[in-house]
Amino acid sequence: MNGIGFGIGSAVAPFVFATAQYESGDWDSAPLVPANIIDSVARYTSLPVRPQGVTVPLSSEAVFQYPLLYLTGHLPVRFTSRESEVLRKYLDRGGLLFVDDHNHDVDGAFNKTAREEIRRVAGPLQPLPNSHELYRCFFVFENGPPTTSHEMNGWGDNLVHENLDAVVRDGRIRVLYSNKDYSSEWSFHPDNKRFLSVDNTRFGVNLVVYALTR
Amino acid sequence: MSAAPATGSLRPSGELLGRMQRIQRTLNAVRTGRRAILSIGAAFVTLILVRGGLASTNAGSAWWLLAAAALLAGGAVWWGIRPSPRDLARTALWVEEYRAEQSGGAPDFALTTAVELLGARSELPASLEQAAARTLEVARVDGALAAERRRAWQWPVVFVLCCVLLVLFDVTRASNARFESAVATGGGTAHSSGTAPAPVTLGTWRVRVQPPAYAALPVQSFGDVSSVTALSGSIVTVSGEGGVPTVQVAAVDSATAGRSRATVTAVGDDWRASVVATTSAQTARLQRGGRTRLLIIEGRADSVPRVSLEAPARDSVFREPTGVLPLSATAADDIGLTRAHFELIVTSGEGERFTVRTVLLGEQRWNADAGSRVARLRGRLDLAALQLQAGDVVHLRAVARDGHPGAEREFGSSETRAFRIARPSEYDSVAVEPAPPPEVDKSLLSQRMLLLLTEKLDKAQRRLARAEVLRESQKLARDQARLRLAVGDVVFQRLSGESAAEHAHTAGDGHDHGVDVQGGKLSLSTSSTTGMLEEGNDSPVIAINQPLLEAYNAMWDAGRALEQGDPHGAIPPMKRALEAIERSRAASRLYLRGKPPQVIVDIAKVRLTGKDTGQVTTRSVRTAVPHRVAERDARLVRAAVLASVNADAARDSVALLRVEALLDAPSFAAALGAVLAGLERGGDVTMPFVQARRVLGNVVRARSTSWSRGVSP
Repeated sequence: MNGIGFGIGSAVAPFVFATAQYESGDWDSAPLVPANIIDSVARYTSLPVRPQGVTVPLSSEAVFQYPLLYLTGHLPVRFTSRESEVLRKYLDRGGLLFVDDHNHDVDGAFNKTAREEIRRVAGPLQPLPNSHELYRCFFVFENGPPTTSHEMNGWGDNLVHENLDAVVRDGRIRVLYSNKDYSSEWSFHPDNKRFLSVDNTRFGVNLVVYALTR
Repeated sequence: MSAAPATGSLRPSGELLGRMQRIQRTLNAVRTGRRAILSIGAAFVTLILVRGGLASTNAGSAWWLLAAAALLAGGAVWWGIRPSPRDLARTALWVEEYRAEQSGGAPDFALTTAVELLGARSELPASLEQAAARTLEVARVDGALAAERRRAWQWPVVFVLCCVLLVLFDVTRASNARFESAVATGGGTAHSSGTAPAPVTLGTWRVRVQPPAYAALPVQSFGDVSSVTALSGSIVTVSGEGGVPTVQVAAVDSATAGRSRATVTAVGDDWRASVVATTSAQTARLQRGGRTRLLIIEGRADSVPRVSLEAPARDSVFREPTGVLPLSATAADDIGLTRAHFELIVTSGEGERFTVRTVLLGEQRWNADAGSRVARLRGRLDLAALQLQAGDVVHLRAVARDGHPGAEREFGSSETRAFRIARPSEYDSVAVEPAPPPEVDKSLLSQRMLLLLTEKLDKAQRRLARAEVLRESQKLARDQARLRLAVGDVVFQRLSGESAAEHAHTAGDGHDHGVDVQGGKLSLSTSSTTGMLEEGNDSPVIAINQPLLEAYNAMWDAGRALEQGDPHGAIPPMKRALEAIERSRAASRLYLRGKPPQVIVDIAKVRLTGKDTGQVTTRSVRTAVPHRVAERDARLVRAAVLASVNADAARDSVALLRVEALLDAPSFAAALGAVLAGLERGGDVTMPFVQARRVLGNVVRARSTSWSRGVSP
């Protein structure tokens, strides 16, 4: 096993990649990301993983079943009061919310509104140091979060974001926020990984491992 | 109390008599002193014994009872050991005995004889007077008196000192126990049920709450209270008389635990301490002379305005970006509103390119001093003025701000409504054009009607013959079967993504849809190997509409029961079916943009085929969160026990427990408020404690039945 210390056994529930579905905005803008992360988890670890992700309404307490929630979109994010309440409980119970700005634009509607909603629910986002264990818990990313082609090509806000942002409590990441547009970077069919010289979804494995082990 | 000098030349007999009288008074004073010391000792012993006895019987510690017992015991000893006064002859005998002891000879009784003659006012022979004077001179009475005093007082004084030390130790220990209990429970001082509150050593205090200027609220003054509620940012000033105490301020919330010392200033004979209220509860612990008192400051955050968007009531899709929408919202704030408006975010674009603009409408402002707490916001949204294009999305909400001056101050906002301008190419069933209800909605109506009919038949079946019930029930079963088949079509259509056209699939048609038919019910196929969504292939079964599948199977159960003439048994599955259909309706609204592509990863194929290798990591164990209810229960029980011996401490413990529970357990906090009120009043607080414990344990008591002999507590 070159992965983390879970055996593949019937007693261990498989990891299920969950995409958060919120009332406003286009929550399903990156439909191939879940399959890609699932593929990477299977490709690099021995973690039991369900072959298909699920979409979970953020207003449903079903989110409590999933240790990692992926939330993305281009349009404004406005949580309903129920969604805020459930998300607050989810984070208090140890869940990890990964939010990615599919707009890759700091002046975009998603970035502005999502940050506002996260601040209300979980507290203000702070830059996550690139020495954080998130970047070392499986693959080692010496320079912090891997860059994306959207950043390097100058699309969106034409910035290379040095850090991810996070809400950390008691030494543990509760909300991880990315302006790097991993939603675009990872939204391709996993079969096409064979055309890549370096798998750019490896950071997704770190995300999953961090969510499951911290 | 000093003896006369025993040296010097002899004087006439009158002087001899005077010296003997002084010695007599000194000796009597020594005996009286011994008597007083023994009485004081007896009083202290009684004090200790009575206090111990009261403590062991949990009868409280009434100071007047202790004082009365001590005085009684002291008086009894004073009366019981009163000595007979020593006269001059006995005094002379004492001197002569002392001289004989010193010289080793026998006493000559010259002094005694001389004193007796002088007492009888007879003439003293000169030889006798000289002998008496010599005896007095040789005897060194001063030393004798000092020795007598030492002998009489030494051990009684030691005894009394021991008693005093014992009392001091007892008082200090009680004070420490009170302080420690306060620290352990996060509380402080105490008072007892059934007795009046004990006198406060720190004296009474006055509390003044000055709200922050922006709130424009009046200053509040309180007397000797144990807790105050204050808006965050208020200055809470505590003042009292006497020496300056130390004041330690600590947050009750464990997440922000930490103590700081407040500045206390002396103003004449008074002292004054100020604490700034925060958004959470704090304790101000005042200490002076080994005594502690607690003031709980219940900090209250200035709440963010509450905003409710009343019109438009729901999301919409418009075919044309024209028309005027009335906007209406209400806003409310605990202090006062200053500004409110509607906010629109207009998003244009598609794919990866979006532009966004923000528009504010219907702004209203209020003077902060006016303190407008509730306001209605109205406006009109002219869609044409927004120059919307097809595909644009408008997010609308109402926003309100209060007068809080903080730079990072949060504002209140309503729920968001979204409007979308339909693209010409898309057909949207929610558009303005009337359309027949979708299949699921029709099913919902029919299922509800079938359920009503079945319930009606269930009620009527007692009055009907069995044959008639069976006939009606089977009629309903046929309707239920038709409805089930219709729902089954919807389930399958959603699976294949096709409408019921020329190549419509059904479960069990021989194709591998991933659906099995088992005894009439649909279930996911375990043998399906279709994983990937590929060109020309059917959709994988995993995309089945789960609520509709549940509805289908529940309808099957209901139909079977109805077929057997059991309408009562059919009702639960019919309700399950109705509930599942409703869930399906709610879910289908979320898929207006279409179903995202589904990819199922072949885990077995890709498992551990990656070229890169990560590093093994270990799972960190999170510390268990302490069971809050159990901890609170233990603290409540401790406070209840404490209330019987030290009600001040119990009151402070309960007050702290209450403020901690305010946020997450308001009902328990309210029950503790009743306990506090009981402790303040004095008297029996058993019932409030019992009620609080029941609320904490979520215990619901059944009402007493009529045959119950007693009233349950």
